[in-house]
Amino acid sequence: MLDWLPENVSVFGEGVDHLFSLIYYISVVIFFLVNAIYIAFIIRYRRKRKGDKAYHYHGNNLLEISWTALPFALFLFLAFYSDGIWEDIRYSEKTPNPDLVVEVMGQTYLWHFRYPGSDGIFGRRDRKFITTTNPFGVDPDDPNGRDDFTTINNMNIPVNKTVLVRLSSMDVIHSFFLPNMRVKQDAVPGQWVDVWFNSRKTGEFEIACAELCGSGHYLMRGVMTVQAQQNFDTWIDEQYSNVLASLAPPATSNE
Amino acid sequence: MEAVLHTEKHEHNEAHGHSESFIRKYIFSTDHKMIAKQFMFTAIIFLFIGGAFALFIRWQLAYPGEPIPVIGQMLPSTWVNDAGAVTAEWYTQLLTMHGSIMIFAVIIPLLVGTFGNFAIPLMIGADDMAFPFLNMVSFWLFPVAGILMMGGFFMEGGMAAAGWTAYPPLSAIASMGQTLWIVALFLIGFSSILGGVNYVTTILNMRAPGMKMFDLPMTVWAVFITAIIITIGTPVLASALAMLFMDNFLHTSFFQPENLIVPTRDMSRTAGGGQPLLWQHLFWFYSHPAVYIMILPGMGVVSDILATFSRKPLYGYKAMVFAIIAIAFLGIVVWGHHMFQSGMNPLLGTTFMVSTMVIAVPSAIKTFNWLGTMWRGQMQFTTPMLNAVAFVSMFVVGGLSGIFMASTPVDVFIHDTYFIVGHIHYVLFGGSLFAVFAGLHYWFPKMTGRMYDERIGKWHFWITFVTFNGTFFPMHILGVGGMMRRIFDPTVYDFLKPFQPMNEFITINAMILGFAQFLLVYNLVYSWFKGRKAKRNPWRANTLEWQAPSPPPHGNFDRALHVYHGPYEYSSPLTVQDYLPQTTSPEEIEEQRRHHEQRLQQKNEQDTHA
Repeated sequence: MLDWLPENVSVFGEGVDHLFSLIYYISVVIFFLVNAIYIAFIIRYRRKRKGDKAYHYHGNNLLEISWTALPFALFLFLAFYSDGIWEDIRYSEKTPNPDLVVEVMGQTYLWHFRYPGSDGIFGRRDRKFITTTNPFGVDPDDPNGRDDFTTINNMNIPVNKTVLVRLSSMDVIHSFFLPNMRVKQDAVPGQWVDVWFNSRKTGEFEIACAELCGSGHYLMRGVMTVQAQQNFDTWIDEQYSNVLASLAPPATSNE
Repeated sequence: MEAVLHTEKHEHNEAHGHSESFIRKYIFSTDHKMIAKQFMFTAIIFLFIGGAFALFIRWQLAYPGEPIPVIGQMLPSTWVNDAGAVTAEWYTQLLTMHGSIMIFAVIIPLLVGTFGNFAIPLMIGADDMAFPFLNMVSFWLFPVAGILMMGGFFMEGGMAAAGWTAYPPLSAIASMGQTLWIVALFLIGFSSILGGVNYVTTILNMRAPGMKMFDLPMTVWAVFITAIIITIGTPVLASALAMLFMDNFLHTSFFQPENLIVPTRDMSRTAGGGQPLLWQHLFWFYSHPAVYIMILPGMGVVSDILATFSRKPLYGYKAMVFAIIAIAFLGIVVWGHHMFQSGMNPLLGTTFMVSTMVIAVPSAIKTFNWLGTMWRGQMQFTTPMLNAVAFVSMFVVGGLSGIFMASTPVDVFIHDTYFIVGHIHYVLFGGSLFAVFAGLHYWFPKMTGRMYDERIGKWHFWITFVTFNGTFFPMHILGVGGMMRRIFDPTVYDFLKPFQPMNEFITINAMILGFAQFLLVYNLVYSWFKGRKAKRNPWRANTLEWQAPSPPPHGNFDRALHVYHGPYEYSSPLTVQDYLPQTTSPEEIEEQRRHHEQRLQQKNEQDTHA
């Protein structure tokens, strides 16, 4: 069954998949054990002769205590084991220092990605500035935002680098799902949530929306390109020069 | 209050007069058995509507964009395109209405409405509910709500389309159909509260003389605890619904942040400043316990049926009662496990994971006790028993798949995928609905005075059991593959394309599963009129309902009852027969034994003479 999992390329994904398979094998063992006993009982204790009496027995406290205590121990173990991984991937104090921060904004039915540009600093933003042409609500007066650029449905990241995604939504709730990175996080309007990952493989991977956001929910597909650092830098430069080109004419006409 | 008293007196007089009008008897009845039948009848109609919706969904997923066979061209143009294929808009309405109908108009009315109403007074030896008039109101709110919920069909924009969970802002900026959905749910909630209050009062106050709380059968215990959860949880849902209604209708901002970009709606009157996550907390504070509202009565019914047809006392009766209480009260503190990926503080993820893992323990206790009940039994595999046995096995699958989602890191991946769809159907169909099938067949003789057809019952069971697993087990695999729930066309994604054959397999199974349910209806309807006459106690069971005539008249019992034993004294060494009705006094047991010994002696003497 676990062979059906999409290929994992994320660094922490290995730990997650390991936990997944651990729970899977525990479940399979319990399932077959319980059902084997069950089927054995069904065969062994079916009524063979009319009038035969069953065993009159109300239960055994020692058994009750043991089948309370054993599952309790097992489930607590699973909870603490899971929590270790959970803290590593989600607690903010355990988030590694990011090499790249990308802001992601969900809109019905597409994904906007925002990069800080050459200075590595995002321009100030505020929800009140959000319009369909300014999806992140970037403050037009902040000079830091001049070189920021955005893409639609197309995310680029360098390989083997910690990427921090800062996530929100313009309209309804979406969910940012990267099957190969073992990442899923709801994008909630009015709230920014951080989620990080680290891809150890180059290639193109799909981005999906996992939260019903309207009838076009299924169309909310993006592509993430993971490439070597120098290729990524080239891509950034290209995008940046596009931004400069688009900025130039209005800048002159204003003066 | 006066009106209630008046009605009760009125009913009482008429019970002796045998001259109730048709409307009084069949429509605005206050008799708990008639109300139970009304719940059953209405819920089964909704079962078929919800099931048809599911089949449209399945058709689209297996054959995206292809016209629906046979009826595709006949459906209204708001639902299908010119070729007769499901549109994306209708698809989101379908999945919303399928979930809402199955949960609020099928499972809850069948388990709580039908079994609760039918079984409680009969099983505790009462002549009716504590508040018969409230009971009638509780029923009549339900079909009204069901029709309102579907009423969006006649509105612009169609029915509600924000999923059965109705997460705002999507549900707060929606069509008129969504508003109707909110009102409908509010009414159903009100119906539940009325029922819940009634059940708790009846069970606490109207038990037959001699019946202690620990003489109650598991069905009654389960409905009792369920009724308590209903009265705690439903008002919270009602408050959330009221807020959502205002967000929709009056442009308030309980759940809407500042400056939402919604081209389809005038947002100038919406101030913003609300919090979408607030809805999720309030909604799941009710809707997680609602999962237990939908499974606990099933557990109760199955416990009774397993004991009866194993001819054995229920293993660990008190442990079973405490397990139900534990599930109910832990169930109130685990709602956050629906929200691990919602943007809630990850620290709360840890908290809710631990509480969720702990709630698996009482479920395990129940499973082991059911196994214990069957151990060294004398099992008879009637239709109710087959369905009850299937319940236990399917519940194990549903319980185990729950652990995956309880574990927060694993949930990151499988959250909002088909894994959860598979899981919830193993609990609500493999669990609740199999318990419903078990209970319907088990009490059919009491309810109608006739026996159902055992052969059709078994056919229905086996087809349902096999195709149920064929439908829902592969969904776990789809989930592991990452297929998101609620998507209209999985072939849009490259990583989901390999799963198309599996989607077809599921759909074929689902169709057989759906059409097999006509067997159930045929069996119930045919047997109701033409079935073999049922005896008073065809299953030789201990509980009180089998001491009443089949079907019980208005007022239920034809003699005064006194309870001497617990409900599960099967195969007791004290008795000659393998069961001991709760009302049999120690003197009667003694007399039966003397009588039996005399007969044995006579037989021996005859043998020696011969």
